[in-house]
Amino acid sequence: MQLRGVAIEDTFAEAFTMRVARVVVTARNPRWAREAALKMTGFATSVIGCKVEAGIERELAESETPDGRPGISVLLLTMAREDLGHRLIERVGQTVLTCPTTSCFDGLPEAPDRVGVGSALRVFGDGFQGSKVIGGRRFWRIPVMEGEFLVEDKFGLQKGIGGGNFVILATDADTALAAAEAGVEAIAQVPGVILPFPGGIVRSGSKVGARRSKGLIASTNDAYCPTLRAVTASALPEGVGSVLEIVVDGTDAPAVSRALRVGIDAACREGVVAITAANFDGKLGPHHFHLRQIMSGDGTR
Amino acid sequence: MTAEATLTLRAPLQRRVDGSTVAWGALGGLDGAGIGAQEVWVEDAERATLGDLFEVKGAPAPRIRLVGDLGLMDGIGAGLTAGELVVEGDAGWRLGRRMSGGVIEVRGNAGPLAGGADPGAKRGMTGGEIIIRGSAGPMAGAGSRRGLIVVQGDAGDDAGRAMIAGSVLVFGSLGENPGLFSKRGSIVAFGAHTPSAPYRYACTYRPPHLRVTLRYLQARHEVPVAAGQLTGAYRRYSGDLAELGAGEILSWIP
Repeated sequence: MQLRGVAIEDTFAEAFTMRVARVVVTARNPRWAREAALKMTGFATSVIGCKVEAGIERELAESETPDGRPGISVLLLTMAREDLGHRLIERVGQTVLTCPTTSCFDGLPEAPDRVGVGSALRVFGDGFQGSKVIGGRRFWRIPVMEGEFLVEDKFGLQKGIGGGNFVILATDADTALAAAEAGVEAIAQVPGVILPFPGGIVRSGSKVGARRSKGLIASTNDAYCPTLRAVTASALPEGVGSVLEIVVDGTDAPAVSRALRVGIDAACREGVVAITAANFDGKLGPHHFHLRQIMSGDGTR
Repeated sequence: MTAEATLTLRAPLQRRVDGSTVAWGALGGLDGAGIGAQEVWVEDAERATLGDLFEVKGAPAPRIRLVGDLGLMDGIGAGLTAGELVVEGDAGWRLGRRMSGGVIEVRGNAGPLAGGADPGAKRGMTGGEIIIRGSAGPMAGAGSRRGLIVVQGDAGDDAGRAMIAGSVLVFGSLGENPGLFSKRGSIVAFGAHTPSAPYRYACTYRPPHLRVTLRYLQARHEVPVAAGQLTGAYRRYSGDLAELGAGEILSWIP
């Protein structure tokens, strides 16, 4: 399959079932909502080393938030359900509670699986906190020096998907970056997904394990490193001088599939040789996003 | 099942009727005969049934609508746990007595002790929502343990007296001694009022929870909320300082 002269390889992205929460942060203006969201999603690229994967899903208009203020929707994902509760408490407590003018709401109110967040953070109020039940949802009012921090009692969790991806094989680094940026920009319009890596782009895709350091769970994907073409079993076609990857996490397979489709479509531009995807021969992740099926309008296996 | 059952008053009430004995929370699952068989007490008279007083149509239905001037009918919605009850006219004393869930909307005025505790009782309503489109008599939300009471008109004296928790929002004027003896809970005053003596001014701020509450009331109950009430500042008074002092009166600054 070719798309505007770019080869779409006959392969699939292999992704994992994770647990996802959606956090809605509001503030007096978009700037402070974004400040909190950026802090909350910092150092959250991969569960390999960060305990949680997180990113900004999208900006929310005033009409979309519970308090009618500008907001940001954030997705956080972990492999285990128990971990997600801990990470939410840590991150909401350290990055949203501390941020001027913010309030924090559950973005999955219909999810039956719920974990206490405000109910844990309330103790910061040292007995001066109070709660309100509004429309069947409980909120905690925690007094802070600025005024009051409002946080929802419980947050919904659901199964999500982590590790959807596509890999851009380009002639040079500038072209690869431009193509990846175009892909990221296109995916930003897709609800239900995040790109947890810096700017949405990964330059250091990994393989499982390592040649030398036996304890290492991941190491550089030498087959896709252009500088190693001459010394390793390279997977790079002729003419490829730089490779970048876009990793997509999402609330469900259709959302990830949509993101991959628009991202790949945007990334197929002059100077891109091929689009491929990272997988583990289907041995690790239950979700397989077949690139050619996605680009022809199909979903996942 | 229809969406709404209607109970239309057959004739204007001449004596007080105590509706506290009606299983208001169960009415939604009853047919017309079942609703009509619910007993009430009529002042200085024998027992009567809802069927004696009302013509019932449309049952069973999750939403119950009472049509007529029920200013002499007390205890409407007593013990309500879920569902929705709409009173097209006025309601008498002790609206929502001991209710723990569901919604009561009164499109007229409500008598004393809406959502309030009975004399000697430890607590009033423990959950649910009461929306009064008109005015409320004295002691609205007195002793309430949780729940939300909204009065779009005026509220009488002693609103939120001895509240344990919950919220009373009054868009009109508020009578004397609001929140006296309260432990916790919020009284939000949008109209003329004077905070009770044992309340002390804390600060002027924009309470984050109030925006959520007001937007919810706009969306769910079509309560008219002015933009300034949504975004504006409020003076916070803490009290009753002779009690726990964890209650508050939030006074809107127009």
